[in-house]
Amino acid sequence: MILEVKNLLKAFGGLVAIRDLNLAVNEGEIVGLIGPNGSGKTTLFNLISGVLKPDKGEIRFNEIDITGLKPHKVCQGGIARTFQLTKPFMQMTTLQNVMIGRTYGSEPVRSMRQAEGECERILEFVGLGGKRLSLVATFGLVDRKRVEIARALATKPRLLLLDETMAGLNPSEMEDALRLVKAIGDSGITLIVVEHVMKVILDISSRLMVLNYGEIIAEGTPQEVVRDEKVVEAYLGE
Amino acid sequence: MSNWKHLSVSGGIIVLLILVPLIFTRTDILTFFFLTLLYITLSQSWNILGGYTGQINLGHAAFFGAGALAARYIWLHFGLPLPLAILGGGLAATIFAMIIGFPAFRLRGIYFVIGTLVLAEILRLVFYTILPRADVMPMRLLGAYSLIPRYYLSLLIALLTVAAVYWISRSRLGLGLMSIREDEDAAEASGVDTQRYKLLAFAISTFLTGLAGGIYAYYSAAFRAGGLFEPVWTFDAVIIVFVGGVGTILGPVIGSVFFVLLKQFLSLYLPGGIHVAVFGVLFIIVVLFLPGGLVELITRFRKRTSGGSIQIDS
Repeated sequence: MILEVKNLLKAFGGLVAIRDLNLAVNEGEIVGLIGPNGSGKTTLFNLISGVLKPDKGEIRFNEIDITGLKPHKVCQGGIARTFQLTKPFMQMTTLQNVMIGRTYGSEPVRSMRQAEGECERILEFVGLGGKRLSLVATFGLVDRKRVEIARALATKPRLLLLDETMAGLNPSEMEDALRLVKAIGDSGITLIVVEHVMKVILDISSRLMVLNYGEIIAEGTPQEVVRDEKVVEAYLGE
Repeated sequence: MSNWKHLSVSGGIIVLLILVPLIFTRTDILTFFFLTLLYITLSQSWNILGGYTGQINLGHAAFFGAGALAARYIWLHFGLPLPLAILGGGLAATIFAMIIGFPAFRLRGIYFVIGTLVLAEILRLVFYTILPRADVMPMRLLGAYSLIPRYYLSLLIALLTVAAVYWISRSRLGLGLMSIREDEDAAEASGVDTQRYKLLAFAISTFLTGLAGGIYAYYSAAFRAGGLFEPVWTFDAVIIVFVGGVGTILGPVIGSVFFVLLKQFLSLYLPGGIHVAVFGVLFIIVVLFLPGGLVELITRFRKRTSGGSIQIDS
């Protein structure tokens, strides 16, 4: 088991965003996380990545308790993430963006030259090979998302949290992104993927979890989950 | 190719700067060079924190003043060797920085700006009160006063500061600092300990500022302690960095030359103090219409004349 979350609770004032949540992720899985707006998906990512501290509960990564660690410690420990609203380093080049991940993440490389070589391969992998010296501020949404994924990959994660990578993409861009996410999964990185586009999530997930009001209401293979009555109810109402 | 060109140009400039006291014997010209170099250190050190790390320090004077006062006391009043005094000035500035930096950097955004601004003002008022009399160099030193060693010391520290920024901008450290400037959440998510690196940038920046203060303590025949903490020391540095080009190596250098020249020129032809207003207007114009400063202007001009490829120099 690579990630284990036990009895996690997070409330903002009176609003309980994550309610007594338990989940386990095995190495090599691609777990899809779905749920209506406001169901707590991003909050869960923020708790795992250390941006938020839980009120109660425990998060274990590789059998090690990482509850309440700061985000940079979590990243150095091997969990990377992307943001729902992309946050690439705008006034820096593509290569510099990725170099930061490579020189500060887990298994960081101190030598700039070595890091540069490895980062160029990562940029090829995400399809930004020809734009290594361009400023990210000049990019459109698709390339910004690529930069963010490349930067996360450069930190050498064992677990990668992808927060709505497909949002705002057109169908053909989505095909590309889908191929990329699958390739990342094939490289052995465990993935938790938050996505609204059902077609995508059903296609890539080996297992699906459904979050509603901060609780997991269903879990299983994509085929099982979409037939689940509670899930249909959460999405469509009674 | 272009690396060799850069190296030979910088080498040539350094040689010329070393020869300056031999070429020019007039005190006013040597003073101009001395001040320009002092301002390069003052503004370049601000640039490390403000330009590269994105943390706006409006209390730069606090660290310049702390460095100057500490160096002056170690050198003149405790009678220790000058190099030790100047190093002591740098350290004194860094200690002040860590005292304010620890609490201020725990909070993001405006707290650091206000914290540093208030620190400089408190120190200014305190030192005008507890050390109201002018600190004058003793006669034996004034009698033997020469600008030349002051000039060379100022040159040395300015070169050290520019070299430090050159190294930072190409290093892992520089990447970490710039990531903080761009987005703190994303920096943390990429493994950068933002709190630690902000403090580190603050320490380097204020150490170099303190050295500049130390040189001023060696240069100035007489000053009032409170005057070392006057906001001009902060805002001159800020204006130079923005007019020259924020977050670049060359910006503060070009900005300092421009600033000191214009300041001398304006104070010749305008009634006292008006030059401050001119710089204020200039600052606003640059921020609104030329965010990259003079460096951007030069790059644009060169691109137009050579039609060469776009170079990104950060």
